Amino acid sequence: MLRETIRLDMNEVPYLPPRGVLEAAQKGLSSLNRYTEPQSLERLRELLADYSQVAKEHIVLSPGSDLLLREAIHAFAKGRRVVMVSPSFFPTVQAATEFATERLSIRLSPPGFDLNLGLLNDVASEPALVIIDNPNNPTGQTLLDRQAVETLVGNANALLVIDEAYYEFSGLTLADMVPSCPNLAITRTMDKAFSLAGARVGYAIAGRTFLDALSSFYAFLPQSSLLAAIEALSSRGYVRRNVQRVVEERERVWRALREEGAQVYPSTTNFLLIKTDFPDAANRFEEMGILVSDLSNQLPAGFIRVSTGTREENDAFISGYMRIREAYD
Amino acid sequence: MKKAIGLIVNPVAGMGGSVGLKGTDGEMHKKALQLGAKPVAPNRTQDLLCHIENKDRITLFVAPGNMGEEYVEGHDIPFTVIGTVRSETSALDTKRISDQMVNSGVELLIFVGGDGTARDIHDAINSRVPVVAVPAGVKVFSSVFAVSARAAAEIVDAFVEGVETTEEDVLDIDEDAFRDDRLASKLYGCLLVPSVRSFLQSGKAASSVARSSLESKKEIAEYVVEEMDPEALYLLGPGTTLRSITDEMDLSKTLLGVDAVLAGKLSGKDLNEKAILGLLENYDRRKIVVTPIGGNGFIFGRGSKQFTPEVIRQVGKDNIMVVGSKDKVSQLDCLRVDTGDWDVDQMLSGHIEVTVGRKEGMMMEVRC
Repeated sequence: MLRETIRLDMNEVPYLPPRGVLEAAQKGLSSLNRYTEPQSLERLRELLADYSQVAKEHIVLSPGSDLLLREAIHAFAKGRRVVMVSPSFFPTVQAATEFATERLSIRLSPPGFDLNLGLLNDVASEPALVIIDNPNNPTGQTLLDRQAVETLVGNANALLVIDEAYYEFSGLTLADMVPSCPNLAITRTMDKAFSLAGARVGYAIAGRTFLDALSSFYAFLPQSSLLAAIEALSSRGYVRRNVQRVVEERERVWRALREEGAQVYPSTTNFLLIKTDFPDAANRFEEMGILVSDLSNQLPAGFIRVSTGTREENDAFISGYMRIREAYD
Repeated sequence: MKKAIGLIVNPVAGMGGSVGLKGTDGEMHKKALQLGAKPVAPNRTQDLLCHIENKDRITLFVAPGNMGEEYVEGHDIPFTVIGTVRSETSALDTKRISDQMVNSGVELLIFVGGDGTARDIHDAINSRVPVVAVPAGVKVFSSVFAVSARAAAEIVDAFVEGVETTEEDVLDIDEDAFRDDRLASKLYGCLLVPSVRSFLQSGKAASSVARSSLESKKEIAEYVVEEMDPEALYLLGPGTTLRSITDEMDLSKTLLGVDAVLAGKLSGKDLNEKAILGLLENYDRRKIVVTPIGGNGFIFGRGSKQFTPEVIRQVGKDNIMVVGSKDKVSQLDCLRVDTGDWDVDQMLSGHIEVTVGRKEGMMMEVRC
């Protein structure tokens, strides 16, 4: 029964990484009785620095980028207001609720879900830790451009963390600003475009202010994840193919839903935000064996987020959508 | 070929709001007049007519006198008067004339009023033609209504340009219960409306009694009370979120009215505009505390008509505090205002912080 479930709720990429990456992970498992080798950690940092085109000193490793975001809040929320957008990556919202004594969210409203940059600068004029997912999860919109970030980091009261979990899909990164901006950190993950969600390899490209506080996680990366990530970065051509396939499928789904009159929003990620007219939409899909993300804890009823799956999975989602709508009508 | 459009106005709609009567169904408008209430519907009708762009593509069929005819002169729209009325109008006139309009061939019926008027229109025409509902009443909770008179004009234009129609709800609000501090509503029926969702208000969502929502309201209440300025006058608007604040202070709140609190004590209950303005004269430091209506996000212009444009102008945007549980606020696209005074609506628009918890805020866009 479980094998028949179509998982479109976690923003995973549906394709396995190349054989070499899987073999590297298996090799890591063969030394399961051992702790992580320091030289593997350093090798991964070097490769990520090369991939991100920054010096190795700016790279901080972590088992998942959500832990880095959590730690940034833990380390820097004292005496600062945590400023985010709403909706946002939910684990970060939860971490802010847990650790920050003062919180402010800027609501992103349909139809455009745009971020009012003037307002963001105003609220960051007092000591603030600003955390923005760019592109935003779950709206799929790019919120910050280079000019906006230059203005924000020019404000000495603001510490800015940009979550670029979907950077490979959006094509926009501001990582090159980090070396000259001590109050800027970029978090990223190999979970998505690298097809390594199970390996949980996250990293930060951190400015000087962040480096001390974020440097204590790498030892928790298992050897199998490390070796898989190293191999993935060494043969990274497949990432471009992954992104191309996902984007083509995402756009096909987007067009198909639009042709059916669905309210589906443009995306620069590997998922789509859809406003349905039916309540409990996620439950209705689940009854069909299709898991999608229910957003009712952050957005008005009816909004769902759907990852881009394989062609067959996406076709099942589209026909499921039409069946639910017919039943609702 | 011009579109034939009916226009019918409930001339007493909304008059109970500023005087704190919470409605004008039946004979209550007479009491409102005695208390000094001024008509609301005429300005709303003028606002609507001024902002219709496709005037050259429509012809109006209007009710006589203050039910329509008085407002259409000078708007450069050809019109024909339908039906007759006596000097004192009633719901029966609304029903009879709207039926006559549909029988005369109108393709769209515009009505100006509140939930009571919507019920009358429903009784008379059901879904025979689509309607545009212009909000002017005290109780405007049905989702058939436009978010404002200007939005109603946009809907009329969209209809002329051929937009499809959809069904929206007419709610049956028990006005006696409403006046008695209880909001008892049920679905009365549906009317067809041009399908322009962004200009239509959402119906009121019921207050959540989920544990998380109750805890959130309590957290907000504790925080607000802790932060209260002992020398400031607080005008607390309607709703269970605001009642949580007075509960925290061991005070009794008028659930659907405006109460005033100063230094931990009640200094006014169920206040109307006149009483509020009287209090404001005595205090330099004053704040309005309101919560958005669940489902549609209105902070002014629905359900709290005692906060008139004059009251809001005197208190000022900087002294307006908005509170709401995360459950409620997360379900809103934005906050809305429709005070009936465009300048005040403009003054309130932009962003405002909603307190959603202890030292926790959400910057929400206010739209008008």
